Amino acid sequence: MRISERVKKLREQSLSAVEKISAERALLITQFYKSDEARELSAPVKRAKAFEYLLKNKKICINDGELIVGERGPAPKETPTYPEISLHSMQDLDILNTREKVFFRVDDEVKNTYKNEIIPFWKGKSNRDRIMGLMTTEWHNSYNAGLFTEFQEQRAPGHTVLGYKMFNTGFLKIKEEISESISILDFFNDPRASERLEELKAMDLACDAIIMYANRHIDKLEMLATTENNSVRKSELLKMAAVCRKVPANAPETVHEMLQHYWFIHLGVITELNPWDSFNPGRLDQHLYRVYKSEKEAGSLSDDLLFDLLGCFWVKFNNHPSPPKMGVTASESNTYTDFCLINLGGVKADGTDAVNEMSYILLDVIKEMRILQPSSMVQISKKSSDRFIHKALDIIRTGFGQPSCFNTDSIIQELLRQGKSIVDARNGGASGCVETGAFGTEAYWLTGYFNLPKVLELTLNNGFDKRTATLVGLETGFASDYKSFDALMEAFKMQVSYFVDIKIRGNNVIEKSFANWLPVPFLSVLVEDCILNGKDYNCGGARYNTSYIQGVGLGSITDMLTSIRYNIYDKQNFGWEKLNNALDENFKGYEQVQYELIYNTPKFGNDDDYADQQAVSVFEIYYDAVNGRPNSRGGSHRINMLPTTCHVYFGSVIGATPDGRNASKPLSEGISPSQGVDKNGPTSVIKSASKIDHLRTGGTLLNQKFSPQFFEDEDSYDCLTSLIRSYFSLDGHHIQFNVVNAETLKDAQKHPELYRDLIVRVAGYSDYFNDLGEDLQNEIINRTEHEEV
Amino acid sequence: MKGLIFSVKRYSIHDGPGIRVTFFMKGCPLSCLWCHNPEGISPLQETVNQTNKVGEKEFVSKEEVGIFYTVENIMEILDKEKVFMNQSKGGVTFSGGEPLLQFDFLLEALKACKANGYNTAVDTSGYSLTENYKSIIPYTDLFLFDIKHLDDDKHLEFTGVSNKMIQENFRLLLECSKEIMVRIPVIPGFNDDEVQIEKLKQLLLTAKTKSLKKINLLPYHKIGTSKYKKFNITNRMENVKPPSKERMLQLKEIFCEVGVKVKIGG
Repeated sequence: MRISERVKKLREQSLSAVEKISAERALLITQFYKSDEARELSAPVKRAKAFEYLLKNKKICINDGELIVGERGPAPKETPTYPEISLHSMQDLDILNTREKVFFRVDDEVKNTYKNEIIPFWKGKSNRDRIMGLMTTEWHNSYNAGLFTEFQEQRAPGHTVLGYKMFNTGFLKIKEEISESISILDFFNDPRASERLEELKAMDLACDAIIMYANRHIDKLEMLATTENNSVRKSELLKMAAVCRKVPANAPETVHEMLQHYWFIHLGVITELNPWDSFNPGRLDQHLYRVYKSEKEAGSLSDDLLFDLLGCFWVKFNNHPSPPKMGVTASESNTYTDFCLINLGGVKADGTDAVNEMSYILLDVIKEMRILQPSSMVQISKKSSDRFIHKALDIIRTGFGQPSCFNTDSIIQELLRQGKSIVDARNGGASGCVETGAFGTEAYWLTGYFNLPKVLELTLNNGFDKRTATLVGLETGFASDYKSFDALMEAFKMQVSYFVDIKIRGNNVIEKSFANWLPVPFLSVLVEDCILNGKDYNCGGARYNTSYIQGVGLGSITDMLTSIRYNIYDKQNFGWEKLNNALDENFKGYEQVQYELIYNTPKFGNDDDYADQQAVSVFEIYYDAVNGRPNSRGGSHRINMLPTTCHVYFGSVIGATPDGRNASKPLSEGISPSQGVDKNGPTSVIKSASKIDHLRTGGTLLNQKFSPQFFEDEDSYDCLTSLIRSYFSLDGHHIQFNVVNAETLKDAQKHPELYRDLIVRVAGYSDYFNDLGEDLQNEIINRTEHEEV
Repeated sequence: MKGLIFSVKRYSIHDGPGIRVTFFMKGCPLSCLWCHNPEGISPLQETVNQTNKVGEKEFVSKEEVGIFYTVENIMEILDKEKVFMNQSKGGVTFSGGEPLLQFDFLLEALKACKANGYNTAVDTSGYSLTENYKSIIPYTDLFLFDIKHLDDDKHLEFTGVSNKMIQENFRLLLECSKEIMVRIPVIPGFNDDEVQIEKLKQLLLTAKTKSLKKINLLPYHKIGTSKYKKFNITNRMENVKPPSKERMLQLKEIFCEVGVKVKIGG
């Protein structure tokens, strides 16, 4: 397959479009909230009316040559803001406009609108202001010290994926379901019936709104058709109008209809609010296969048209950068990527191999499009063929970081352990970076990253944080007070529990704030069983409701603890005083100590039980502190182990550490070993990484960078396939390959202009190398050199 | 009994089928000019200086080249890697140096590997006593056998030993081993001329048996260069350039006439 001129042009336009802030949404939402109508409504109905107001009044954008229509902003990459969630200050806008990486241009008109309309109305009223005011002093101290981050501070909870049902129905049908749910409300025995009624009314309004939004596209398309001179384009415009007439009101029956159907839904979700990880079509090969097959059998779909449609669809994702963040949130996830992760392969609801013709077609699309968004992954089960894996490797070897490899069998076991039905588990997958979810039925919120190495630093300093000069943790003692390694671990465990408690208390308050003030009736329509329960997605309406706290820095903390155990307690190479002085001085004048810590101390990632047992201990301590704790939505807290780019921010708030790491340097990412310490190759990394129990997480991230030589021939494909299957037979959740050489990366650092399309795998997602901060770039270069030796 | 091993490579994918663990055994009777494992030549433990950097500061430490392993040590390492070996139908390879130089240890190790069900390979120069080969054949699933040059005087000049015994052992293994792969290092100026290539091809054509599974053409490379410096060995091939990709493809075509699979590289 080769991409057509049409798609090439759209792709190029998407690549060269400049990210800008659009004030359109902020202005419309402000107008609505100011209106008399808004004042008297219940929260869900108010949000539904706001949704309707946005879709009714936003500009309709149709790009030249495209076949799938709809933009969140007035034009590609013109990105809206969400002042009801968090309000950008004038200073924030300046920083966004001028920062070197992941900038958003802000023109004077936007600045004026913000100054005169948006800020005066929303100041002190955004959800961020509200929740920050509700947090305890302990929460604020911990947050400022960098112990954890808060996902819902600048973005709404989302993190869900469209499931089978919505790909196969239309909103008219959904409206019937809603009215049926209303008809069975029991106002005499259910004291919450009137609440449910308000929610269901809101859902019904949201359905009307999305159909109205499609109708506005019909009008625009037909208008364009009347003035279009090119007869081919004219008939395309009319065809597109017909598609918009069919979906999303009715169930899609062709590939074109299904892609457009999904895209309207996607736009609805990311216009209603700004959920983390945007939205996600999930198991796209499974959904498309039905309509693809029937069209193919009828002979009504040419390969050219199919690839054109898919290419146009792909470009749409890339037109939509992640909403602009600020402050800590910008450091924890500093990227344009909005984490839409398309799943291919896996198993069907009945447990049989799900790989089909469409899986291969979509892999071709990924290969040819070679574009940052959407992300993609392959679900590999023990039933998957080697051919499928080889095809994925064929794309991975080209070095743009996609697709990543996931273990379907582990994902299913993880979901079953959490109490999902076998069918919901099999219909699930991974979204965002690596997060396990039951697609279409689960609200699985990521609530924030948790800085495990920082907890150790505090444990060694009697709970005192030197950087912020605050007593943050428990006063469990100073390093030299711990007479044994076990005593230290006991104190560490108490500190972990203490900070997890603070985080969970905050989570519960924040979740309630969204439930009370910012329900999402449109998203609720999409996720089963919100309609059945008459309950909002943000209020526990989904069939499953999970809250995750993501552990960061497993490799680093393992090396720190191992070093303490080895050098202080077991070998007694030096005492606490010497080590503490070395750390206080950031190893200045203590280079010999640092050398011993780096080169002569066991490290995680080498299949060395002496080191790896600390990883297991930390994992168990963290798991015990979090797992099973109730959340506010009738579900539970769970753990997963992934960092996005947060290992860089978390490292920046930690001084020099006992593993020989200098102050402020990045931590290890995911469950990968610390940068450059794995000396025995990929099999040992895999063995070390599989010593923690992946099945009790909701996702782990293992990053393996390979030089291209590992992909040179059929034999090496076989070996990589075996490597993946071996890891997965040990219950590993996910592995991703970064295929680059250091020379390329160094050159890219020097001549960014020549490497506009250089994509590398960062941590759970891919990003343009140019958009990474220098520290992250250097980290990736260091890793690469290490691999090449 | 202990064996002296200078390197253990996991995820070894060029020394036989699948994912393997390769043990590089120290000591070699040959001293090939192009040797890329010069640290494997001496049969003794050596100490070299290892320089590591911490920031701008350099630290020099003594590093032992060659560590004594018991057969149990070998089994422990293989046990850690068995998931990969099982999955990939890989196994263990004894390379070197010349592994048969430590024949007694090699035989014990091979027996233990077979007792544990591992696929075994021996990567040999062919330069050892014929009865040694006869002893290990029952415990060796695959021989990786180096053929370097067919003219004895050239062979002597470039490797330090005669090729007579090597030829004899080659014929023995073709007849009696389960599987054998021939590895021909392609060294410009030594064996890559048309006459020698033709002779090598003819030998393989006439001598081949059903045991011969594959021919690997290993292009000369300069990976060993830094090791020569580290081990203070004179590099006598500094000016030799690796053969071009085109030339390797040409040679591949020629050797394809033998009628077995030919691969460039391991």
